[in-house]
Amino acid sequence: MNNHQPVSIVMIEDDEGHARLIEKNIRRAGISNDIHHFTDGTSALAYLYDAPDGPAHAGPALILLDLNLPDMSGTDILGRIKAEGNPLKRTPVVVLTTTDDKLEIQRCYDLGCNVYITKPVNYESFADAIRQLGLFLSVIQVPDLPEV
Amino acid sequence: MVRLSLQNIAVSEGWFNRLVVGAVALGFFALLVVGVAAFQSVRDNQFHAQWVSHTFEVERAIANFDALMERAETGRRGYLLSGEANTARTYNEASAQLGSALGRLKELTRDNIRQQANIAALTALARRDFAFMDQSVRQVRAGHRDQAVKSFQVSVPLQLMRQIRSRLSAMRAEESRLLEIRNQAQRQTLRIFYATIVAAGIILILVGSGSIWVILRYTRDLTRSRDELRSLNADLEGAVRERTTDLQRANDEIQRFAYIVSHDLRSPLVNVMGFTAELESATKRLAAMMDRIEEQAPELADKDAQLAAREDLPEAIGFIRTSTQKMDRLINAILRLSREGRRPITPERLDMNAVVQNIGDTHHHQLADKDIDFSVPSQLPAVTTDRLAIEQIFGNIVENAIKYMPPDRNGGRIEIRGRVDGSRALYEIADNGRGIDPKDHERIFELFRRSGAQDQPGEGIGLAHTRALAYRLGATISVESELGRGATFRINLPVAFAADQGATT
Repeated sequence: MNNHQPVSIVMIEDDEGHARLIEKNIRRAGISNDIHHFTDGTSALAYLYDAPDGPAHAGPALILLDLNLPDMSGTDILGRIKAEGNPLKRTPVVVLTTTDDKLEIQRCYDLGCNVYITKPVNYESFADAIRQLGLFLSVIQVPDLPEV
Repeated sequence: MVRLSLQNIAVSEGWFNRLVVGAVALGFFALLVVGVAAFQSVRDNQFHAQWVSHTFEVERAIANFDALMERAETGRRGYLLSGEANTARTYNEASAQLGSALGRLKELTRDNIRQQANIAALTALARRDFAFMDQSVRQVRAGHRDQAVKSFQVSVPLQLMRQIRSRLSAMRAEESRLLEIRNQAQRQTLRIFYATIVAAGIILILVGSGSIWVILRYTRDLTRSRDELRSLNADLEGAVRERTTDLQRANDEIQRFAYIVSHDLRSPLVNVMGFTAELESATKRLAAMMDRIEEQAPELADKDAQLAAREDLPEAIGFIRTSTQKMDRLINAILRLSREGRRPITPERLDMNAVVQNIGDTHHHQLADKDIDFSVPSQLPAVTTDRLAIEQIFGNIVENAIKYMPPDRNGGRIEIRGRVDGSRALYEIADNGRGIDPKDHERIFELFRRSGAQDQPGEGIGLAHTRALAYRLGATISVESELGRGATFRINLPVAFAADQGATT
């Protein structure tokens, strides 16, 4: 575990409170990976593709995506990441949003989202969901090990 | 405005109609009078013509008498001069006819006293004249011709003859006077007749043209109102279409609005809930620290801080938590309503007995617990509409009936009846539960509103949802109830769902 490239977490979430709660729960679950937080789609996309330390150029990442963003729809970002031939196509995307509309969930899975988590008002289930996210994170780390 | 002007038209129309009917009746009455008058004048004319011809007859009789007198005189004179029997025969024939001619004249002028007097005088004169004439004829026959001829010199017969002639001419004058009068009368009646005919003609023309004018006016009015109606109808259809589109747009707007609002309301709620949980865990840690301080360094223990950590904070957090939970339920209800409004309606043929039986089976346990008799006494009419919506409508009402059945009620029952009325199916769901105060009959269908004792859990969503669904199916829902006497919910629903019938609410 000592030498492998750490998975950075890219969180695209416009609500500061939600972002803070997600981060707290991630940390509480014992996950210490870097978290890059963006509150809008434009700067998030710029980081994902163009930043020298961004996932397109350096190392694997996990994207936490909110669907309600001020400048663009989360499903647009999802569609772009998961498009054919995109360097980030294999990057896991976890959609974290307030919508529990069946059609919308379906649409996200169709676009290639890996996990869909509804932000519940019930805090316990929310914390549970984040803990499961931690498990998920440890699972995606596995393929990285043999590379080292 | 429109109604007012229509009323005005109706009023003037009534007045006008009475006038027209009156005028036409008057016209026909005038025609009748003219007809009677014409008949009368023709009869008068006939009467006068009769009298005119009578006068001519009298004149003819006078002339006849005159001629006979002349012939008798001529015959006598001829006989006196020639002594021939032939001429005597002329005299005899003429004098024999004179009596009857005079009689006829008398008969004809029986109505005229003046002529009667003339005839009486004439008769006397004629008698005297004949006495002379007979005498002279007899003298000739006896051979005393000289005496007879001599009698010519006597002026008496000549005078008699003159008197007879003047009498006859007086009679003629009288008759021509009468003729003049009668002719005038006849002309008068003819004039009246012509005047009547002209009057009749004028009235006929007036009535005829009046009738034609009225008919034309009516036809024109009818045509105009038909055209107006047609254009109004077209306008109405257009207006309805426009209105429906507007409604549809407004509805869609509300759907989107409700959806967006409920999403955006949820987002801050996640924060409130999340950080409340953070506060809670922090409070627990604080309380634990307070316990330790109390244990290890009682001199540091502060009563107020302990109270805050152990009671005030948990209480505040508890209230925040229950309120947020309630708010979440309300937002979810709005979200559900808005989603229900967007769900497409898929009509299918529904066996309502099966649907209702299914609802009864679903609530079997609650029905058994409260010992409620759930019954469908007769066959329910089948409908073609959305299954899910119908199940939710009936399910909600039955659920309420069970929920608000007082636990101590003996012989609780829920009865579902149905019948078809034209193109609508009417269903009744009747219970003998606690009932609903009449002032709340409309209120219970509003979102988040409830009625009566708040002793049952609920947010006041069920019936609002039910009514929204009913409207979508083109149905109406109403309630009839009295406190303590149970409630009857009535659902009036189209037998077959038509897409443009329902409102998306």
